Amino acid sequence: MKFVLLWSDALFFLLVAMCVFGAWRARRNPQLASAWRQVGTHRVGVAAATILLCFAAIAVLDSVHYRERLPGENGNVQYSVEVLSVLDGLMTKERTQLEKTYSAPLATQLFAKESRADGEGRDFPRLKYGGAQLADPALRDADVEKRALGGLVAGFVIWVALAFCVRRWLRPRAPWFAWNAFVFTLAAIAVVSGVIVALVPEYHVFGTDKVGQDVLYLSLKSVRTALLIGTLTTLSMLPAALFLGIVAGWRGGWVDDAIQYVYTVLNSIPGVLLIAAAVLMMQVVIDGHPAWFSTSAERADARLLSLCVIMGVTSWTGLCRLLRAETLKLRELEFVQAAQAFGVSGFNIMLRHILPNVMHIVMISLVMDFSGLVLAEAVLSYVGIGVDPTTISFGTMINAARMELAREPMVWWSLASAFSFMFVLVLAANLFADAVSEAFDPRGKRS
Amino acid sequence: MSLFSVKHLSVNIGAGKPVDDVSFEIALGETFALLGESGCGKSMTALALMRLLPMAARIAGGSVEFGGRNLLALTEAEMRNVRGGGVGFIFQEPSTSLNPVMTIGRQIEEALFLHRGLAGLAARKRAKELLESVGMPDAERRLDAYPFQLSGGQKQRAMIAQALAADPKLLIADEPTTALDVTIQAQVLDLLKDLQRQRGMGLLLITHDLGVVERMADHVGVMYAGQLVEVASREQFFANPAHPYSRKLFAALPERTGRGKRLSTIPGTVPPLTAVHAGCRFAARCGAVMAHCHTIVPEWYAQPGGQQVRCHLFDPAASNAGRTPHGASAVVPEAVPDAESQRAANEKPLLQVRDLKIHFPIRKGLLQRTVGHVPAVDGISFELSAGRTLALVGESGCGKTTTGKAILQLIRPTSGSVKLGGTELIGLQGAGLQPLRAQAQMVFQDPFASLNPRMRVSEIIAEGMQALGLKEDAQRRIAELMEQVGLRADMAQRYPHEFSGGQRQRIAIARALAVRPKLLICDEPTSALDVSVQAQIVNLLRDLQRELGLAYLFITHNMAVVDYLADDVAVMLKGKIVEQGSADAIMNHPRHDYTKALLSAAFNRAD
Amino acid sequence: MLTYLLRRFLYAIPILIGVNLITFVLFFVVNTPDDMARMQLGVKHVTAEAIEKWKVERGYDKPLLWNAQASGTSKATDTIFFEKSLSMFVLDFGRADDGRDIMNEIKTRMVPSLAIALPVFVLGLWSAVTFALLLVFFRATWLDFTGVVLCVMMMSVSSLFYIIGGQWLISKLWHLVPISGLGAGLDATRFLILPVIISVIGGLGSSVRWYRTLFLEECNRDYVRTARAKGLSELAVLFRHVLKNAMIPILTGVVVVIPSLFLGSLLIESFFGIPGLGSYTIDAIAAQDFAVVRAMVFIGSVLYIVGLWLTDLSYTLVDPRIRLQ
Repeated sequence: MKFVLLWSDALFFLLVAMCVFGAWRARRNPQLASAWRQVGTHRVGVAAATILLCFAAIAVLDSVHYRERLPGENGNVQYSVEVLSVLDGLMTKERTQLEKTYSAPLATQLFAKESRADGEGRDFPRLKYGGAQLADPALRDADVEKRALGGLVAGFVIWVALAFCVRRWLRPRAPWFAWNAFVFTLAAIAVVSGVIVALVPEYHVFGTDKVGQDVLYLSLKSVRTALLIGTLTTLSMLPAALFLGIVAGWRGGWVDDAIQYVYTVLNSIPGVLLIAAAVLMMQVVIDGHPAWFSTSAERADARLLSLCVIMGVTSWTGLCRLLRAETLKLRELEFVQAAQAFGVSGFNIMLRHILPNVMHIVMISLVMDFSGLVLAEAVLSYVGIGVDPTTISFGTMINAARMELAREPMVWWSLASAFSFMFVLVLAANLFADAVSEAFDPRGKRS
Repeated sequence: MSLFSVKHLSVNIGAGKPVDDVSFEIALGETFALLGESGCGKSMTALALMRLLPMAARIAGGSVEFGGRNLLALTEAEMRNVRGGGVGFIFQEPSTSLNPVMTIGRQIEEALFLHRGLAGLAARKRAKELLESVGMPDAERRLDAYPFQLSGGQKQRAMIAQALAADPKLLIADEPTTALDVTIQAQVLDLLKDLQRQRGMGLLLITHDLGVVERMADHVGVMYAGQLVEVASREQFFANPAHPYSRKLFAALPERTGRGKRLSTIPGTVPPLTAVHAGCRFAARCGAVMAHCHTIVPEWYAQPGGQQVRCHLFDPAASNAGRTPHGASAVVPEAVPDAESQRAANEKPLLQVRDLKIHFPIRKGLLQRTVGHVPAVDGISFELSAGRTLALVGESGCGKTTTGKAILQLIRPTSGSVKLGGTELIGLQGAGLQPLRAQAQMVFQDPFASLNPRMRVSEIIAEGMQALGLKEDAQRRIAELMEQVGLRADMAQRYPHEFSGGQRQRIAIARALAVRPKLLICDEPTSALDVSVQAQIVNLLRDLQRELGLAYLFITHNMAVVDYLADDVAVMLKGKIVEQGSADAIMNHPRHDYTKALLSAAFNRAD
Repeated sequence: MLTYLLRRFLYAIPILIGVNLITFVLFFVVNTPDDMARMQLGVKHVTAEAIEKWKVERGYDKPLLWNAQASGTSKATDTIFFEKSLSMFVLDFGRADDGRDIMNEIKTRMVPSLAIALPVFVLGLWSAVTFALLLVFFRATWLDFTGVVLCVMMMSVSSLFYIIGGQWLISKLWHLVPISGLGAGLDATRFLILPVIISVIGGLGSSVRWYRTLFLEECNRDYVRTARAKGLSELAVLFRHVLKNAMIPILTGVVVVIPSLFLGSLLIESFFGIPGLGSYTIDAIAAQDFAVVRAMVFIGSVLYIVGLWLTDLSYTLVDPRIRLQ
C-alpha cells in the first residue's frame, strides 16, 4: 500500500489544521471565546454543528488516499493505478459489488425485466448481491424488519452509552454548552446510521444506479466533493480578498481606484458565464497536458481544485467590497488615529488594528457562502461546467439520474438520495451560519 | 387637579426592573423635569407612559391617568388617539427621529390628518402655521424640505411642530436639546417654554442637565437606577437637595465648585438597567451608606414644604435622623492650592501655532477637478506654554477638532506653522516626525471607539512605546501608568470591553502618557461621559498636570469645564478664532457676541 | 446630478475594456487556437491540416496582436485581437459553429428569455416583499418564527430540485400544463406558467428572509418610534414609513439585474426547452462553441454595467438625499 496525497487532500487537511489552530487561539482570547461560547449555547447551532461534524468525518475518511499494492510477480513492486480512500476501503463491498443496472432501494430484483435464462418469457431477475442471501424474495420484508430493528436497538444502545459519557464527563466541564441539542442530534444520527449499517451488508439500502453502483456509496462519496467546494472556494481567494480589501480601504486614492476597478470588472462578467468560459479553457489545458497527471484521480482532482479557484475568482469580490467598506469605517475610528499619532507604520496598523477587527466579517462570509457553494456545485455539474464527470458529486449524480424520471415507473431513488443528502447538509450549514453570524456580528451585541 | 398622574409604574426586562415604582403628577401649564444620568431609566419611563416600549420590555404594573382615563387599560386603537393627539412626543436625536425620505410638510400633515382630519390645502396651511409658530424661518419653503436639508436646530423645531399638530395637552420631551449646540439649546428651550405658556400645556421634560432643569422646571424628580429618589419643587431642590445622590450631582458640576477646587466625585458607575437590586439602589456609591441600606428598600419620607425623599437618612424613626446627613459633609469641596500660583506664566511657549490653515478641496464635474476649498481652519494662531491649559472652545463643525489633529500632523495642514518646542512640524515626514510624536499626544472623545477592542490594555499602552522605540521596561512602565491614572496594575491584562466609559478614558490617558509627552491634546475627553464620571476625569487631568507639568490643549464645547480647568481660552467660530485671552478675562468680560452667547447659554446668565 | 450620472456612464468604458481584455486573454492567450481546435476535433486523431482548416474557417489563423506580414493599418487590424475582440464593441460577434450569425440569433432568442425572466422578476419581487412585510407585521410571534424556519428550509433546497420536482409533479402527475417547449402568441402562456412559478418559488426563501432583515432593521430606527408616537397604526407605520425607507436598498439592489433579464435563465430554459438565450448558452457550452460563449460573456457584462448605471440612476430617483445634493 502506498499513500497518495492529492492536492485537495493536502488543502483539506490544512483546513482542518487551521480549524484546530483557530480553536486553540479562540480559547486564549476571551472575546473569541465568548463569541464561540455563544454559538455553543445556541441549541439549533449546536445541532447543526453536530451534523456538520458527521459530514466532515465522512469527508476526512474520504480524504486519506492510497494505492493498493498489486500482487506483483518476481518481487518487483507494482501499485494499482486506482487511487482509493479509506472510505472506499471501508465500503469495498458497496464499491465493487455492482449490479447490472437499476434496482430500487432494498430490492432483491432488478428494476427492468429481462429474458429469463430458460427462455420462457421475461421476468425481473434476482440481484447478484442485494438480498442474495434470501432463498425466496418474498421473505425480504421480514428480513429487513428484523435487521432494521436490530440496527435500531444497537444504535440506541450506543447512543445511551454516549449520552451517559456526555452527562458524566463533558457536561460538568462546560455547563453552558447546549448539551441537550448535541445529545438529541446524536440520537437521530445513531439510530439512522444503526439501521443503515445493519442493512448495508445484504441490501442496497438506497438502490443502485444505471450501471449498478450502490447509491448510498455514491452519496457518501459526494459529501467530500461538496465540503471541499464549499470551503476551498472561499479560502482560495481569501488572502487576495483580505489583502486587497484592506489595502484599498486603508490607502484610498489611486490604489483604491485600481482595486475597485479590478473587482468591478470581474464582477461585471456574469458569474456562470465566467465560470463556463474558465472551465472550458481549463478543460483544454488539462486535456492538452495528459503527462501532468499520473492517475485519473489526480486529473479529476486538478479539475476540482481549478473549479474551486474559478468559483473563488467570481465570488471574492463581494467579500473584498465588504472588507473595504469596513476598513473605511475603521480608518476613521479613534484607536486607529491614536496609533497614527504614535507614528505606527501603515502596515502595522493594518495588521494589528484593522485585520483583527474585520475577521468577524471573514468568519461570517465563510460560513454564509458555504451552503450557496454546495448548491452551486450541483447546478454547475449539471450544466456540465462543474467537476470532472468521473468525480462523484451531488451534481453528477443528479445529472446522471434526471433522464430517468421519464421512465414508467419512475427511477426516483438516485435523485431522492442526492437531494436529501444535499438538503440535510445545506440546511445544517445554513442554521450553523445563522448561529455563527449572530454570535460574531457586533451589531447585535452592542447595547 | 392634575392633568397627568403616574402611579407605581414598573417596567420589566427579564428579571431586571429598569423602571420601578415610579409615581409623579403633572398639572396643566406645569413642567415636571425627570432628572438623571444616562441609563437610569428615564427614557424608558417616557416610552412606557405612551406604551411604546421596545419588544423585550414589558409594563409590570401601575397606572397612568390622563384626562381621567387609565392609559394602560386602553385598547391599542384608543391609545393611538392619545399618542400624538392628547400627548405630543419629542425625541432626543432630531436627525434620526424624522423620516429621512419624507418632506417635513408631509410628516406634519400626517399627524394633522390623523388627529384633526385635515387634508390637502387646509392641512398644508395649518402645517405652515405650525412651522411659523415654532419659529422656523421661511416656513412655506421648509414644508417641502427633507430633514437632511435642515440644520439640527431646525429639525428639532420641525419635530416640535409635528408634536404640537393636534394641540396636545401634554408634551413629553426626551432630552430635547442634548444633541444640539449650546447656543441652539438655549433657543429651543426658550421656544418650548413660550409654547407651553401660550398653550397652557403640561410638559414632561427628561434631561440629565441640571442647567436645563433650573431653567425650565416647576417640579423635579430625580431618578436613579430605575427609581425616583427625590421629588421636589425647583426652588426646594436647588436650595436644598436632599438625597445623597442629588447632592453628589450638584457637587460634581464644575460650574458649582469654583476654579481651583477639586471636584467632588461619585465613585463607580450607574448600574446597568438589567441589574437586580436588593436594598437602596444608590447604596454602593453612597457616601452616607448605612448597614440596612443594602438590604431594605427605603420608603418615601416627606420633608417640610412637600419635598419627598427616598432615603433611610430621612427616616424619622431612625436615631440618626437629620436634615444634613453625615455623608453630606464629604460633599464640601476640598480646597487645593491654585495651579496658577505654582507656576508663573512660562517664558518660552511649548506650542506655537501661526496662521494655521486647513482647507479641504471641493471636487466637482466630470473629472472631479478641485474647484474650490472649504476652509475648515482659516488662519488661526495661538501659543501654549508648559504646564498650562489652553481651552479651544466652539461648537460642532467649527474646526476645533481638525486643529487638534493638524497639530499632530494626522491631517496635513494647508499652510501656516506649527512649532513644538521650537521645531517646525509642518513639512516633516515619517521618521523626521517620530521624535516629536513623543512630545505631543492626544486623548480622544469617544472612549468606546478610541481603544482597539481586540487588544489587551497592556498592548494598547505599550504600542506607542514600541512604535517610538522607547527603551524601557515595558511591564514596569505599564503598571506605573495604570496606577497613575487610578486603575489597578493587574487590570492591564484585560480587554477594553470589560471597562466602563470612565475607565476607558483613563486607559486612553495612560496610553498617551506612556511616551512621556509634554503636550496633551484633549479632544472633548468628557463629553461622552456622565456628570459624575466627568468629574473623575477632570480631576485626574488636573492631578496629572500638577504632577507632570503637562500642557493641555483642551478642545471642548462645555464652558463649565473650561471655566474650571483652563488658564487661557480661545473661542473658535467657523474656522477662525474670534476671541482669545486669559480664562478670567473671557469668562467675566467676554467681548465678542458669540462668546457672550456661549456663556449665557451655559450658565443661564442674562445678557 | 447630471454630471454625476454622466461620470458614472463614462466609468463604464474602462470597465468594458477590462472585460474585453479578460475574455481575450481567457480565450486566446491561455489557450491558443490550436488547443481549441485539437479539443474540438478530438485529441487523438487530429492532423495538422485539420487544425489549420478549423482555424481558417473561423478566422483564427491570424496573429494575436500584431500582424507583421500585413501592410499599413492592417498590421493592427488584421489580427485576432482586432477582429474577434475589439469588434465586439460594435456588437459584431461573428458566426457560431453552425454557421449562423450570433447577433441575429441573440436578437430572436431574447424575446422568449424575457418572456420568462420578466414575470419571474416582477412576481418574485412582489411576493417576497409581501411575505416579508407579513412576517415583520407579525414579528416575534409563532407565525414569524414558522415563516423564518420555512425560509431557511426553502433556501436549503437545490434549485434543481424545484425544477425537477415541479416539472414532475405538475406536468406529469397532474397533467396540468405541457412539460416543455414554447407555443406562439397567447398559447405561450400555457408553457410559461410552470417555469415562472417554479423560478419564483425557488428564489422566495432567501429573498423573503433578506427583506425581513432589512425591514426589521428599519423598524428599530428612531423615526419609526416617532411615527408611532404620532399615533399611526402599526400598518400605517409599516407601509408609509418602513416600506418607503427599506425599498431604497431593496430597489437599488434589484435594479442591477434588470438588464440581465434579457439573458434569461440557464437552468429553467434548458429544462423546459424554451429557445431563449439561456438555453443557447447552455448548448454552446455543451458543444464547446467558443465564439458563442465569448459573445455571451461580453453581452452579459454590458448588461450588468448598464444595470450598475441604472442603479445609480435609481438611487437619485428614490433617495432625496442623493437627488437633491
